[in-house]
Amino acid sequence: MEKVRVCFYPENRCIEVNKGENLLRAAMEADVHINASCGGEGYCGKCRVIVEKGDVQQKLQTKLTEEEIKQGYVLACSSTLESDAEVRVPIESQIGDRRVLERKPPIPLKGYTLSAKDWAERLPQWELNPPTTKFHLILEKPTLQDNLSDAERIKRALSRIADLKDAVVDYPMLQVLPSLLRASSFDVTITVLDRGQEIRAVRIEKGDTTLRQAAIAVDVGTTTISVQLIDLQTGEVTAEASDYNGQISYGEDIISRIIYSTRATGLAKLQSAAVNTIWNLIQQLVEKSNIEFCSITHVCISGNTTMVHLLLGLDPRYIRVDPYIPVAQVFPWIKASNIGIRIASGVYMRVTPCVASYVGGDIVSGVLASGMFNSDKMTLYIDIGTNGEMALGNKDWMVTCSCSAGPAFEGAGVKHGMRATRGAIEQVRINEVTLEPMIITVGNKRPIGICGSGLIDTLAELFLTGIIDEKGKIRLELSTPRVKEGESGGEYILAWANETGTGRDVVITDGDIDNLMRAKAAIYAGMQVLLEEVKMDIDDIEEILIAGAFGRYLEIDKAIIIGLLPDVDTEKIKFVGNGSLLGSYLQALSKNFIKEADRIAKMMTYIELSTNPHFMEQYVSALFLPHTNIEEFPTVKQRITKVRKIVQSGISEGDVT
Amino acid sequence: MPFEIIKETTESKIHEVPLGTGEVKVGGENALPFHFWEGEIPNRPLIAVEVYDNNPEDWSPVVLEPLKDVKSDPALWAKKAQDEWGADLIALKLKSTDPKGENGPADEAAKTAKAVVDAVSIPVIIYGSEDAEKDGEVMKAVASATEGKNAVLGPALEDNYKTIGAAALGYKQTVAAKTPIDVNLAKQLNILLSNLGVDIGSILIDPTTGALGYGLEYSYSVMERLKLAALRQNDGMTQMPLIGDVGIEAWKAKEAKAPAAEQPQWGDESKRAVLWEILTAVALLMAGADIVIMRHPDAIKTVRKVIDTLLS
Repeated sequence: MEKVRVCFYPENRCIEVNKGENLLRAAMEADVHINASCGGEGYCGKCRVIVEKGDVQQKLQTKLTEEEIKQGYVLACSSTLESDAEVRVPIESQIGDRRVLERKPPIPLKGYTLSAKDWAERLPQWELNPPTTKFHLILEKPTLQDNLSDAERIKRALSRIADLKDAVVDYPMLQVLPSLLRASSFDVTITVLDRGQEIRAVRIEKGDTTLRQAAIAVDVGTTTISVQLIDLQTGEVTAEASDYNGQISYGEDIISRIIYSTRATGLAKLQSAAVNTIWNLIQQLVEKSNIEFCSITHVCISGNTTMVHLLLGLDPRYIRVDPYIPVAQVFPWIKASNIGIRIASGVYMRVTPCVASYVGGDIVSGVLASGMFNSDKMTLYIDIGTNGEMALGNKDWMVTCSCSAGPAFEGAGVKHGMRATRGAIEQVRINEVTLEPMIITVGNKRPIGICGSGLIDTLAELFLTGIIDEKGKIRLELSTPRVKEGESGGEYILAWANETGTGRDVVITDGDIDNLMRAKAAIYAGMQVLLEEVKMDIDDIEEILIAGAFGRYLEIDKAIIIGLLPDVDTEKIKFVGNGSLLGSYLQALSKNFIKEADRIAKMMTYIELSTNPHFMEQYVSALFLPHTNIEEFPTVKQRITKVRKIVQSGISEGDVT
Repeated sequence: MPFEIIKETTESKIHEVPLGTGEVKVGGENALPFHFWEGEIPNRPLIAVEVYDNNPEDWSPVVLEPLKDVKSDPALWAKKAQDEWGADLIALKLKSTDPKGENGPADEAAKTAKAVVDAVSIPVIIYGSEDAEKDGEVMKAVASATEGKNAVLGPALEDNYKTIGAAALGYKQTVAAKTPIDVNLAKQLNILLSNLGVDIGSILIDPTTGALGYGLEYSYSVMERLKLAALRQNDGMTQMPLIGDVGIEAWKAKEAKAPAAEQPQWGDESKRAVLWEILTAVALLMAGADIVIMRHPDAIKTVRKVIDTLLS
């Protein structure tokens, strides 16, 4: 097979591939990120790159303008390399920097984020009692009279000092046992894992290492993976880091991932992509906090059912097809090294159990972390993500469902959508009289696109100012240059080409708004149907807990204006933050919480919305701003009336009471 | 013990919408269709006779036969419907403007509309070709040409409600709002129209009709649910009279068109086709249609008899 060499700039990374190789795949091989939201199907048009040298064959040009084609733009996903080539990845096709994941979230206008004080109250089970324990043992040396085997000697000592009977000694530990025991003069530290049904000695170290013990908590999200390093002496988080899930390059949502996993080596690729992301993050944390890998004694992971399947290398294909069956809901403790996370010997990992194919351990973890399972209050927990998963109930009972909201709030399926990285528009205000916008971007850089919080803001502001109607259609008849007819329907220009980091107008289109409307309608309808199932009304809900990476940046009042969240007293609405990660953290700290998580997963009743006849009706009803039944949104109704009054009179807000 | 019928009464009622400039009104009831024992039904359901402006040739011979002397002249056709068949209303359909067909100009269609409105004393519903863009243009011209006649203009769709709504508003006409068989979508369009400034008392709902065998049950269900929402839940955005567009749909059915020579087991098509229209219309009247748009004079006569019987 003839080889060609391709170099990517500005990374200046080169790689040899077979002639005829797909350009996006070559970039993937070279570890050069190019935004590609559609899994390489050629419809998102985000993977535009500039061919500076060489013969690159382009199959599809529909997403490029003539001007761009002249400039050498191609869509990487539908191009093949026919000769050596040099390719430049333009700024908007790069991933942006990763500061998003460390920056302080903006304080929302209204709403309340749960803090340490709340958790003390919400989680009385709190107790530092991790599933792994280190025991320092000074063993009696063997003699002719006391001739127990090395392993039995350790077991005897464990049973004497910790009353641990019948511990199983792990095989890899047996292998190092004789030499290590003697090299350390029988002064050793044994790490013991309590897996519930069984006590297992998993690691032996020289001398006393009991003061050095740490654990890892992980949230495997469809879009983002977050990892915490926890000091098990104090129970505190030593360091935290997040990154995009490496699987993103293979498709934005879980369905396209499942489809990819059914290809020849697809599952292995997806597994290693997630493992690599996790491993890189663990490395970062260990470096940052100056500990040793061998201090880490266990890992707790939560994720949605599909993410967990992919991480564990379990075939997820039947999750996708009727009757939607996962391989397992409950997963045994396994060695982290079994899936390629090689932290140190004897590091086991726990995966939070899932409820059903589309309600995963991320929700179980979130319910755990929010303390909802302890509460007398009728609570609604909503994790706003690609799959809007939610749980309703209290300490006595819980129902749960998920509705496919789509990735619009995460910036996919939106013309200039992006994640909350540098240059993403994250806050928007529009003047109701001049219809001019005010935008704030992440990192205060020239805007490149719009992220989730910016999209919610934009939608709410467009609606309040009457730039869009209740159906979400842009009113082209408005006399402002900000509104124009684009290739496919109306557009509102948030930033002019000469103000942006891409040299193109940053706009929101009728199509984008459609996708956002569908996402918000699915979540609201899911909530309605869940309430209907238990014959309750939104007023019966005493507390609404919002989780999700995006939840941290959400302005509640804007979310209510667009009808994503119900129009209730905003005091009732609280942010949990990343519930899934918090739940992993709690389980890493305490066996009590592991037990609770197992119990929560069992107590949840799953409601399948795809077979519920009311879902579609509620959904269509919610495909309106804020909702077809405006009576359900009384404060929004008032606010619209007020703003419309301002618009009509052309005076500023301060003058209207 | 004598049988006592259960009564479910309500404070809500359907808007009573005046049509044309005379005495004709539609709606106003506070009871479900023909539930006289539960409330007031001040206006009887109306039959609107369908008139086309494009000299239809492709219709079934069964329905063309009684129209043969008038079908090329919409005004004459309307007059005959009023005088001979007892039409309550005329439903003029400006098919000549269809961009997929003749694509006739809007002002010509407006002249036809004016001629029809002038030829009869009963109110007129005027529909375009149901091409969202073209209808906007056509209805503007029609609204202006028929100013002062309080015609029903339509169908206003999600994609052209602004132009049609504004035209109706400007020339004080009534609007028929059409949505695809969905209660929520019907409500949404009414909200959009009323936000535009159209009085909710001058809107009729056309919830889209499926003929017998071709989705009649969906139309039945959506009409029934609209009426229940309006009367039992006092939902203001569903309290508009309902239109069933029966003729066009019933005569589209293969079972209505196929000649007996082709389908001998189906029997004489002249009876069968008329029955198809009657059954569709009567079912929708039961579901809550306040106006049925119909085509064949025999079907019209029979449905009128059914209404009379139910009313007596």
